[in-house]
Amino acid sequence: MQASFSGRRRHKLFRFSPFPICSETVMHPTPGYHGRYLRVDLSNGQASSIALDSQILRHSLGGSGLGVALLLQEQAATADPLSPQAALAFVFSPLVGSPLTTSAKFAVVSKSPLTQRINDSLASSGFALAGKKTGHDAIVLVGRAPQPSILVIDEGNARLEPATDFVGLSNRETQEKLRARLGTDFQTATIGPAGERLVRYATISHDGRHAGRGGSGAVLGSKNIKAVAVRGTQRVAWAEPAALVNLAKTLSEKSFGPATAKYRELGTAANLLTFNRLNVLPTRNFQQGSFAGAAAISPEEMSVARERTRTSCAACTIGCEHLYSLNSGGGSVRLEYENLFALGPLCGIDDPEIVLEASRRCDEAGLDTISAGGTIAFAMECAERGFLDVPWLRFGDGSALLRAIDQIINGKGIGPLLAQGSRQMALEVGHDTLDFAPQVKGLELPGYDPRGLQMMALGFAVGSRGADHNRSGAYEVDFSEAVDRRNVGPESAYLAVETEDKAALMDSLILCKFLRGIFVDFFEESAEILRLVTGWDVTAAELRETAQRIVTAKKRFNILAGWTPAEDTLPKRMLQTALPEDARSRLTSERLSALIKAYHLARGWSEDGWLP
Amino acid sequence: MQVTVELFGIPRARAGVSAMVAQGANLGDVFEDLAVRFPSLGETCVSGRNLKPGYTANLRGEQFVTDPATEIREGDVILLLSLDAGG
Repeated sequence: MQASFSGRRRHKLFRFSPFPICSETVMHPTPGYHGRYLRVDLSNGQASSIALDSQILRHSLGGSGLGVALLLQEQAATADPLSPQAALAFVFSPLVGSPLTTSAKFAVVSKSPLTQRINDSLASSGFALAGKKTGHDAIVLVGRAPQPSILVIDEGNARLEPATDFVGLSNRETQEKLRARLGTDFQTATIGPAGERLVRYATISHDGRHAGRGGSGAVLGSKNIKAVAVRGTQRVAWAEPAALVNLAKTLSEKSFGPATAKYRELGTAANLLTFNRLNVLPTRNFQQGSFAGAAAISPEEMSVARERTRTSCAACTIGCEHLYSLNSGGGSVRLEYENLFALGPLCGIDDPEIVLEASRRCDEAGLDTISAGGTIAFAMECAERGFLDVPWLRFGDGSALLRAIDQIINGKGIGPLLAQGSRQMALEVGHDTLDFAPQVKGLELPGYDPRGLQMMALGFAVGSRGADHNRSGAYEVDFSEAVDRRNVGPESAYLAVETEDKAALMDSLILCKFLRGIFVDFFEESAEILRLVTGWDVTAAELRETAQRIVTAKKRFNILAGWTPAEDTLPKRMLQTALPEDARSRLTSERLSALIKAYHLARGWSEDGWLP
Repeated sequence: MQVTVELFGIPRARAGVSAMVAQGANLGDVFEDLAVRFPSLGETCVSGRNLKPGYTANLRGEQFVTDPATEIREGDVILLLSLDAGG
């Protein structure tokens, strides 16, 4: 994807005092867009409001797609992601601010310090709405502030404020303090102590939600930015507002139906018992596919013993967020399947209080729970096998899990080693530990054992940001009649391409993936949505091409960053041993290679995955 | 044929039990039997001899099935679950 940018106008930024952004007027922005983005160089005090060509918007849409285009423009692929040269983009989308349910989302896009590859993480709620109202479709940060700072973007003005009194504060504390300091009409994206310490899987947090994977919080921390605060009143036009409102009503009505009932009534944590029954619940660092203590930490069981409340992101009619109270006090904790699996079975923990407390600490400090749990589980196995001299670190020991999390956060003990993620840790520990480090491209695997879900195995292996269930929905194919999930052949690889393309489009429009079940023809219906928002005569076929272009742009970024075919694989453990509970859940390297080749060819790339 | 039906997610929440015994020679028979025994389950998940959109079944923990003509064996175990697995 070739980005086309024009109309750059720069203004000097006076550090720690207000500075005006006198942006170039975009005469006729495409409806749904402002047609410009804000670029802030934190090192030299320059801020620019840069026009976005309508062609690049139509080709990349917004969110992940536009973010990758902006990063390619910034030549971010070859930069050290924690250096001042690195770029970090907060990207909104044409649907943000519309009446469409689940559209209040934003993407954070950068090169990952964990994988050294492209990283696009999404989060939801008011930050997206307020950020777009600043009059920009994206905010790109480069450089490094001279001291810990808050970047405040208020309408057409931006400023840096000192944040020395925020150092060490949790996400919640930071957001509360900023509300008191700036007012409640600002929305903030913050890092916790993990981001300040450059933990390579630190998150960026907003209102309890996280741009979670790949370490965008460390990138923001490396720029000395504790928080970005946004406020504005600038709205975009909609091409066909009356029809858009009608369509939004229909979409909202559908979102109350059976396709979203699981998320609404039980939350994603309901996956736990299903996955356990199918022997695909990663347990004790992927040594098993089922967990004897699963029932005790299931949402069904926890709902009996604890108060459960439900919330939703801004502009969402599903309401998938389920919070469970801590018996020890300290309020309620948001519980998703991924933090439940990673801080529970993966570490051998069957105490729900420990899982909730571990989740709370990760959320407050700004740690990706999947990578935190994956790295700690890996360390537990290293310790038990004698590769790591940490006698207190054992599977099933709740106090050890909490201690390990605390050490990651405070940088003491084994914390600095764990803070690097399982791949780098394995390289330092040595022996054969890389064989069972639960990662692809450095990103820890989410809660789907790839041996029993082999379409997902393909999705993990080829994923542009590493082992990931949000950029590839290949598990949907495994949970269908389309394939034998334990014996997937290369003739089915195109199905992984389809789910990846669908995800790329959802992440760029942006719409929540929990809506996906309500669409009959996702590409056709998305084209209708985009027509009503932008006025473009866009078709389903064009959106399929756009999705493919976005996936290819991510691949191009990775090739520029040093990608080679050898990294599209799974840990050796997954390719050498079957799941102990199910001998048929065996994935050989030959089968995975055949799947990967078929995937590449289905994408129109070379057999090895190089772009034409 | 007598089979065991294990329920997960919304089906379990609706029926209020984690497993039940059902009768039938094929999957459609079993779905019909479930709807009779547990009307709340029938309203939510079953439409005649089929599952409603958003739900799926798995035979013996191995194969995902929705075709009501799928033959079943005495003692089979059928899992009934919400379709979306994401999280």
